[in-house]
Amino acid sequence: MELQRVSYRYPGQTTGVAALTGLFPAGKVTTIIGPNGAGKSTVLKLLSRQLTPQQGTILLDHRSLGQFAAKQLAQRLAVVSQRHELYDDMTVAAVVKLGRLPYHGLLATVPDDEVATYLAQTQLTDLAAEHLQNLSGGQQQRVWLAMALAQEPQVLLLDEPTTYLDVHYQQALMQQLRRLAAAGLTVVQVLHDINQAFAVSDWLWLLRDGQLVATGTPDQLRQADLLARTFQTPIEIVDVPRLGPYIVQVPGEEATPDNLS
Amino acid sequence: MSKHAGWWYAGVLVLLVGTLAVAVMAGTTWIGPSRLLATLGHPASRDFVTVVNLRLPRIIASLICGGSLAVAGALFQAVFRNPIADPSILGVSSAADFFKLGGALLLPWLPGRNWVLALLGGLVALAILTSGKALGNPYRLIIVGVALDATFVGLSRLVSSGQAAQVMASTFNGVTWPDALILLILGALGLLVALLLAPWANYLKLADVALQTIGIPVSVIRWSLLLLATYLAVSVTAIVGTIPFMGIVIPNLARRVVGHDYQTLLPFAMLAGAWLMLAADTLGRTVMVPSEISAATLMAVIGGPFVIILLQRGRGFHGITTG
Repeated sequence: MELQRVSYRYPGQTTGVAALTGLFPAGKVTTIIGPNGAGKSTVLKLLSRQLTPQQGTILLDHRSLGQFAAKQLAQRLAVVSQRHELYDDMTVAAVVKLGRLPYHGLLATVPDDEVATYLAQTQLTDLAAEHLQNLSGGQQQRVWLAMALAQEPQVLLLDEPTTYLDVHYQQALMQQLRRLAAAGLTVVQVLHDINQAFAVSDWLWLLRDGQLVATGTPDQLRQADLLARTFQTPIEIVDVPRLGPYIVQVPGEEATPDNLS
Repeated sequence: MSKHAGWWYAGVLVLLVGTLAVAVMAGTTWIGPSRLLATLGHPASRDFVTVVNLRLPRIIASLICGGSLAVAGALFQAVFRNPIADPSILGVSSAADFFKLGGALLLPWLPGRNWVLALLGGLVALAILTSGKALGNPYRLIIVGVALDATFVGLSRLVSSGQAAQVMASTFNGVTWPDALILLILGALGLLVALLLAPWANYLKLADVALQTIGIPVSVIRWSLLLLATYLAVSVTAIVGTIPFMGIVIPNLARRVVGHDYQTLLPFAMLAGAWLMLAADTLGRTVMVPSEISAATLMAVIGGPFVIILLQRGRGFHGITTG
């Protein structure tokens, strides 16, 4: 997936993104990081066509995103939102089956065996008949991931997927995303935790004020001054035994033009 | 369908058949099974006329009305994502009633007048409900609905110069074969479509954004179901009038016994609604012979407390948010 000079400004607001050009490499995990209001979620909304660029083009498979019919797009691109709402109860299997609708008619009954793989991939096989309201937050998150995987997408977009998960589930999810990418899926996610982003990603996008500050591999972008400028806060990279380089905000220091450069 | 749900289906069918038998036999005169059989060969007999010309059309009408209102209620709840949405509480039925009444005064020559105008009234109420900000908040929607209902009931009273409220006038008493047949055709058609479209009601359990990402045309689904529910509700209003709470009581009970899947829930609601309406009407016309309590009155008495309990106890499903 690729952005070519994409701009979007929210009506009546100054926030948005401006002239973004960059690549989301196929079969890799790309993470978008940046301070609040940098435009991270806006990029995801543009990629999932919830927002339409006011300028520029987004390419998927060398075709402009706008050219895809809704169903065609759903066969190529799946989204795991930060917030998921369910207005009435459903079983796990019923939710995952919705992810198969891009391949069926609108009134189709999706057979059980068609979703068995996705349930297994997300360790939900035993919970297939369970109702969502009886599941923990972490389990529910896996259901939404299973639904997205059932779309058999080329690109999976995730908006802060770890926010409401405990450390154990966060790690499990990140490992799963790595496995999916290794199997050829293009993963694009927004994360708040910089160290997690550097640890799990193949490629990073650094955003600030709606602008792309830098893109590259975690090794290329692990620079204290670059991160300090992006996040507008003094940052140091320390070496933690058995863990390697770790990005920390320097405690007690105010951000000034001096210590940011 | 689970085994548990299967038992409930069997139960409601038994109730339906039993109540049907009682409804045929009971009335001002009790016509027992042997007398009923004996009368079959005598179309001119008084018993035959009573059963075939008076009781049967009334039974058919109440079955179709109950089924239609219960399904309409379930569909409104799916579309509005609100467990207490129903054609009576949202003002759709009273708008249909008012337009029907206005039509009788202004356009007495119009063919199919009652149904056409009831539909128009229902659509007007729907347009008001879906415009503006009412949809954004479940309670605001209900309050707008209640205000709409009060407005149209008031308008109906105005044009009928202060006569009794329409709700009290809604009755199956006097339903003729032509009425019953029109209801049967309109209702059967609508109910069949509703059963076919049941999966769509399930889709609407997801947020619009999520539905769009799986390629579902949300507006098409939402408006199809809304129009269908309105059609079912106003068909009842056109022939009988407003019957309150059926659309809340039955779908909410159905969710508890057969589950939340609309493909299981809608057929059950249809059967249970048909049964409840028939039971209410039969009770109403037999308990105080020779006088009658209208099914609408009985439904108000049963349905009102049900809604209060439903909301006071906070039971039922109020949605899940992950994240």
